[in-house]
Amino acid sequence: MPDTLYRLVYMSRNDISDEIEPQIGGILEISRENNRQAQITGALMFNSGCFAQVLEGPHHAIQATFERIQCDERHSDVTVLLFEPSDARVFSSWAMAYVGAQAAAEQRFGHLGRDSGFEFAALDGNEIFNVLRANLYDAEPGEGVSS
Amino acid sequence: MSMIDSVTELEALATGIAIVDDDNVITYSNTTFARRLNIDTLPRRLTDIALAEARSRDLLEWQLRDIGESALTIEIAPGRSLTLYIGARRDGQRLVIAAIGWPHRDESTLDLAAQLDPLTGFGNRLMYAERLREFEALGARYAAVLVIDLDHFKQVNDTLGHGAGDELLVLVAQRIRASTRGNDTLIRLGGDEFVILIPDEKRREGLEALARRLVDLLGRPFLVDGHQINIGASIGIATLLGDSAQLQDLLRHADLALYEAKHQGRAGHYVFQSHLEQRAFDRRDFEVDLRRALGLRQFTLHYQPQTSMREQRVIGFEALIRWEHPTRGRVSPLEFIPLAEELGEIASIGRWVIRQACQQAMTWGDERLSVAVNVSPAQFADDAIVDVVRDALAHSGLAPARLELEITEGLFLEESESIMRRLWAIQELGVAIAIDDFGTGYASLGYLNSFPFSKIKIDKSFIQAEPSPRAKALISGILAMGSNLGMATTAEGIETLEQYRQLEHEGCNLAQGYYIARPMPAEQIADFLGQFRLSAAQAS
Repeated sequence: MPDTLYRLVYMSRNDISDEIEPQIGGILEISRENNRQAQITGALMFNSGCFAQVLEGPHHAIQATFERIQCDERHSDVTVLLFEPSDARVFSSWAMAYVGAQAAAEQRFGHLGRDSGFEFAALDGNEIFNVLRANLYDAEPGEGVSS
Repeated sequence: MSMIDSVTELEALATGIAIVDDDNVITYSNTTFARRLNIDTLPRRLTDIALAEARSRDLLEWQLRDIGESALTIEIAPGRSLTLYIGARRDGQRLVIAAIGWPHRDESTLDLAAQLDPLTGFGNRLMYAERLREFEALGARYAAVLVIDLDHFKQVNDTLGHGAGDELLVLVAQRIRASTRGNDTLIRLGGDEFVILIPDEKRREGLEALARRLVDLLGRPFLVDGHQINIGASIGIATLLGDSAQLQDLLRHADLALYEAKHQGRAGHYVFQSHLEQRAFDRRDFEVDLRRALGLRQFTLHYQPQTSMREQRVIGFEALIRWEHPTRGRVSPLEFIPLAEELGEIASIGRWVIRQACQQAMTWGDERLSVAVNVSPAQFADDAIVDVVRDALAHSGLAPARLELEITEGLFLEESESIMRRLWAIQELGVAIAIDDFGTGYASLGYLNSFPFSKIKIDKSFIQAEPSPRAKALISGILAMGSNLGMATTAEGIETLEQYRQLEHEGCNLAQGYYIARPMPAEQIADFLGQFRLSAAQAS
């Protein structure tokens, strides 16, 4: 029996205060491997203010992944925006990208999106992703506040 | 002592037994083990066993990562489940038992299994007691207990079913496991109550940091059965380095601290301090005293007159309960009524008050005098209140029109058909219903429109407020409202002549307060009435 496909969209506060780059790199590496095994696709968007994540996959895999993420001390204030069955995947793999307005951050993290195969087109025209993107921009502190 | 001293005995067991090393490689298994798992050949690693549900594999992996004991119930074929009991890791190996159903305590190999909760893999009460015995034997000087209680868990069971509730408990257990260390003993006491028993020295700061972490983690959303679930956790802490002197005290003290944490508004933690124990004893004594008070006839009613401002005459009395305790002295109703409500004693106390008030009113010798009785919202929780009123009237022979019940706005915080039905039933008996402490509740004013209340009693805080244009405006507003709705207005807590004159001037109908008279024992009523008539006649 094929598992029903679910989609989870959540946001959380980014609590990483130092050594952002290696930490973000580590998150990408570990979660890419875990998610491939668990048949999870989706995207992690981040900036210095918050994380936003879309996970697509079978219920148990999303639950297990979400539990692992929940126990990570690098974020807090987790808000689930959507959790429901879904007809088809929007993302074909698992990728992450910096989403924000800071030029310096874009320079440091911009390559992540290109390297990880982040599908920016997938975000277009879908209301929940528009909301997500708007929230991300709102949560990002002004340039120079964080480094 | 090696775990495989008596291999032949193990081989003969009907219980599946395996031993795995630190990498979960199966180093020994009896033939029953594979049979129990419903497979022909065991894989090299226990974690590579093909399981029907992917979730079970995740759980198995998760629990094997921990060095402590745990248990896991998995489905091996449709409709057939199996419980794996995983022993603690000792000297690089651990025992795994595969059993169908709940094993018996008297099988020595399964002592461990009897101490485990198959749902979460945590230990149960037996394991807690066992650990405590071990600590005691070792003369442990450090130990701490955290009691974790989930907030709003019952709602999950009620709305999404016990299956979802159980799944949530498994996830809660995983989050607790992820926040603790391998040598902490994790216990599910039952229901939604968990215990962490910490063996080593951990000072208050460390324990509080762990508690904060757990409150945070368990407050984050869960995904269960296609739903997002939000619960919370409250935590009580007790430690041998703190105010608990004995190992045996830890759990009880942590429970007292948990009670305090919940009392302070949930989603937080509290560290036990010895005064909590004293307070708990005091509260227990107070409860026992209160439960006995009625039987020991320690309650009496005092009566405070209500007068008509226009006619200068006493129209009736409000009955006020007094509790005279032989050692406590007089206990304020503000102190014991809330407790009586909590304990469910309010029903019998309330019944006594109504009966006694009706009986005593019959002795006043003036058929025009009314008696008002306070009724707590808790007494309106069921239909019994209607019978209580009817019985009191029948028993005393008091004319129903002489009885008035005073209720507070709190009764109308939630719109309830059953409460309105009870009010109407009492009204049909011929009994009046007044609104007490008006203006202090948060109820919508709409209820005033839904029932013909006999009186609005303006709360004393308005009457006793510093005179100001605003205070005056409030009072005259309430008076105008009463008059327009055809309800009499009573000013409560009048203490001075100025207050009396002002309210009289504003058109308030009835007065009550120290300015007229303090509440008095029933025996003084006749004297009071005589004196009042006398002074009224002299004044006019």
